[in-house]
Amino acid sequence: MATGIQPSVPLSPAVLAILLSLAEGDKHGYAMMKDARSPGGGGIQMGPGTLYGSIERMMRDCLVEESDRQDDERRRYYRLTSQGRAVLAAELERLEATMSSARALGLLPDGGRS
Amino acid sequence: MSAPFLDRLPQVPASTGFERFYDSALRLYPSPFRETYAPAMRQAFRDALRDKALPRPTFVRLIIRDLATSLIKEHIAMLRDSLTRPALVFNALVLAGIATGIALAFYAIPQHVLRSGLNDPQIQMAGDLAANLERFGVTDGLLQGALLSTGGGSNVDMSRSLSPFLIVYNDEGQPLGSNGQLDGKTPAPPRGVFDYVRQHGEERVTWQPTRGVRIAAVIERVDGPQPGFVLAGRNMREVEARIADVQTMAGLTWLGMLGLIVVGSLAFGIYTRPKPTMPVPPPAPAKG
Repeated sequence: MATGIQPSVPLSPAVLAILLSLAEGDKHGYAMMKDARSPGGGGIQMGPGTLYGSIERMMRDCLVEESDRQDDERRRYYRLTSQGRAVLAAELERLEATMSSARALGLLPDGGRS
Repeated sequence: MSAPFLDRLPQVPASTGFERFYDSALRLYPSPFRETYAPAMRQAFRDALRDKALPRPTFVRLIIRDLATSLIKEHIAMLRDSLTRPALVFNALVLAGIATGIALAFYAIPQHVLRSGLNDPQIQMAGDLAANLERFGVTDGLLQGALLSTGGGSNVDMSRSLSPFLIVYNDEGQPLGSNGQLDGKTPAPPRGVFDYVRQHGEERVTWQPTRGVRIAAVIERVDGPQPGFVLAGRNMREVEARIADVQTMAGLTWLGMLGLIVVGSLAFGIYTRPKPTMPVPPPAPAKG
């Protein structure tokens, strides 16, 4: 597991979905909402209020920051910080360990996804 | 995951009824949050509205649920950020302590004045009668009309009348004469009271001879050839009602002050709350 990670894991589903979405690159609000809605992004139905409330707290925790990308003045783009990337890695390691335990218990097929 | 789908989104009219509703709902967010994020939220709403992949009923449900949960969450977060600052909490606790002290004083001082003032006529009456009886002794003094000459005329019903009454006891604490009656009898205070008065000369007590009857009593020692005790008492009913009024007023004052402190701290906390995280200005592009 990554070391020196201060923000607590497990992360909330919304925060994990936002971190996962931003891991791909700089994104604006609706792109993150759309990613979160997809099965690979967590399948979370997240509205603008939940999204920007989470982003506000994630900026305070230095997990994300506003990007300098500007293709439309009405849109704000965000990106992961190194701290956010480390927290995401820590959370994914934790989830991976959980999945391994579930597989060992026979709750999931080996190498498969539920 | 993401795709440049925005270019493919169909154009919609600038403002729909649901969009106007959402614009109105945005005003319900705490102002610092709204000022920082409302334009981006409105844009995300418009993007979702234009996204044909998102069925309209699903979109409406999503927005309504999001408004309901995030509005509550952001207001709670705002209150938490505003009110949990140590300096604000400390000031509120200090003010609450001062308010509690003021309210206690507001109750205790009038209560003490009212209660001690209730003894005034009894002090004089007990003193006069004790002085009179000391010359002749309690038994002989009563026979010579000392009780009548000290103002102990007609019989007083202790449970109903607010008039002061007098009772004379012998040295063993048995009543010898009285103009105060309770259910046709002359009651006596606990023996410990007489023991105390025997040693200290006088005692002022709240005496409850029976359930529901409370007497402000002054007991004086009678020395001399036939020693004994004089008790002057008065029913406390009216004064206790006034004390209860004072208690109610003090309690309401205390609650009012606490309410003002809470409202004031809340207003001050909101007015001076930390601003939401401001966007980081983009770095200047490197030259060369």
